[in-house]
Amino acid sequence: MGVSRSLGRFYPVDSPLHALDPRAKILAVMSLVLGLFFVRSIPGLVLMAVALLAVVVMSRVPVKAFLKLPRVVLFIVVFTALFQALFSRQGEVLLDWGLLEVHEGGLLMGIFLAFRVLLLVWMAGLLTATTGPVALFDGLEDLLSPLRRLRFPSHEVAMMVTIALRFIPTLQEEAAKITRAQAARGAGFDEGGPIRRARSLLPVLLPLVIGAFRRADELAEAMESRGYRGGIGRTRYRELRFGLRDIAALTVTMLILALGIAL
Amino acid sequence: MRLELEEISYVYSRGTPFEIAALRGVSLAVEAGEVLGVCGGTGSGKSTLAQHTNLLLSPTSGRVLVDGVDAASLEKIRLRQRVGLVFQFPEQALFAPTVEEDVAFAPRQLGLDEEEVRTRVEEALVALGASRLARRSPHNLSGGEKRRVAVAGVLAMNPEVLVLDEPTAGLDPATRETLLDLIRSLRGAGISVVLISHDLDEVAEVADRVCILEQGEVKAVGTPAEVFYGHPEYAPTMVRVVSSLRENYPEIVQPVRYVETVNVLKKLLEG
Repeated sequence: MGVSRSLGRFYPVDSPLHALDPRAKILAVMSLVLGLFFVRSIPGLVLMAVALLAVVVMSRVPVKAFLKLPRVVLFIVVFTALFQALFSRQGEVLLDWGLLEVHEGGLLMGIFLAFRVLLLVWMAGLLTATTGPVALFDGLEDLLSPLRRLRFPSHEVAMMVTIALRFIPTLQEEAAKITRAQAARGAGFDEGGPIRRARSLLPVLLPLVIGAFRRADELAEAMESRGYRGGIGRTRYRELRFGLRDIAALTVTMLILALGIAL
Repeated sequence: MRLELEEISYVYSRGTPFEIAALRGVSLAVEAGEVLGVCGGTGSGKSTLAQHTNLLLSPTSGRVLVDGVDAASLEKIRLRQRVGLVFQFPEQALFAPTVEEDVAFAPRQLGLDEEEVRTRVEEALVALGASRLARRSPHNLSGGEKRRVAVAGVLAMNPEVLVLDEPTAGLDPATRETLLDLIRSLRGAGISVVLISHDLDEVAEVADRVCILEQGEVKAVGTPAEVFYGHPEYAPTMVRVVSSLRENYPEIVQPVRYVETVNVLKKLLEG
């Protein structure tokens, strides 16, 4: 099913990126995701892309894992490019089909925006590929903890996000398993028109949803029976350490981002 | 029908750090009308093997033969009708609002007419002792009842080979007995059964031949007596008891099933 190769799945190898403090990585990705919207020139975007490629190589996560994009992302990327190319009327006319015209500026803009979306997705994917779920949780919770004073349930939110991420591969595997079980009962999933196809998904989706509820129940019970009662007074087995190399990594990230925006 | 696996190898997650060779050149045949028991520890490749019997997984190398014909050349739905596969915990795939609807799913996919579908559903539910559940929702049944319904859902295709992956895992004794009776009656009707199980006692009870898998390879295959007495570490308790008695009483035979074993022991005690 190729599940294990999909974008963003934790890829357990040793690399300088894996070793960074999760907080440094989350902060870096958050600032990059926001900062990318201020990168408005092609050299700037190319700089960001080259920097990302360098970091991917450093992470030792195979580049292949980044090429297999989820369908939704692919749709957004293509849609962004097409929309800009068809409806933005800047620069010279490149193609003219009566009602539809493709202008040079529009085409460039479309490619530019689509590429920006791709970079966003890759950055987020690199974060989860190099940060295990537990580290991600610790990092998120710690970063959100100042908000606790505003009565924001930072521990609970971090726990929910982590559980959600943790269960994506599990649910993917379960979906694959149920799909095969129904295929063994003669179900065909890629025959007929769109309505028949959607209907043929029911025998997979229903058990999957029921299973998710069952899992949620079991998980809640398992957590309670191990004494989980929220974040108050909870200590950690692994303490996070924000060291020199984390500061260095963040600084470099910010410098590259600043340069990208300036270009 | 004769089902044959020819030098099957299968590698999960090829080209990633998660890569695992689950099967390494497994050759195995299921003769018409026999019960083949497949044992082995967790991770020995039992479930992967099961999914090759109807090509839900395509082997990385090797072939599956159905009566001598390459299964890959058959129409998928025909293959899946002829080789019925019941997954581990099959009740997880129950989805229809009523039990009869759920059991009718497979026959309907085969394109049978409604009359035939109804007959098949009834027969399958009777075979599993679950007729009285027909109009209930499968989601409100007990674990054992769900298992019966799920097995009926595959049986309703009238397969020529039935592959059961851990059919009795976590079951109550009554449902377990029903399943073992079903296996015996299928054999009586000339239908082959592949019983994959951790439970050596039940394999000993119904299997005509036994295969032991270890790390994706066939470690032993033969009659239950040959395999279990040859590999005591994989043998059911009864066989191990008799094995150690044989050290002092070499004249006793090698019983495998419960009744045979009791008879042998009685004879021994009576002198």
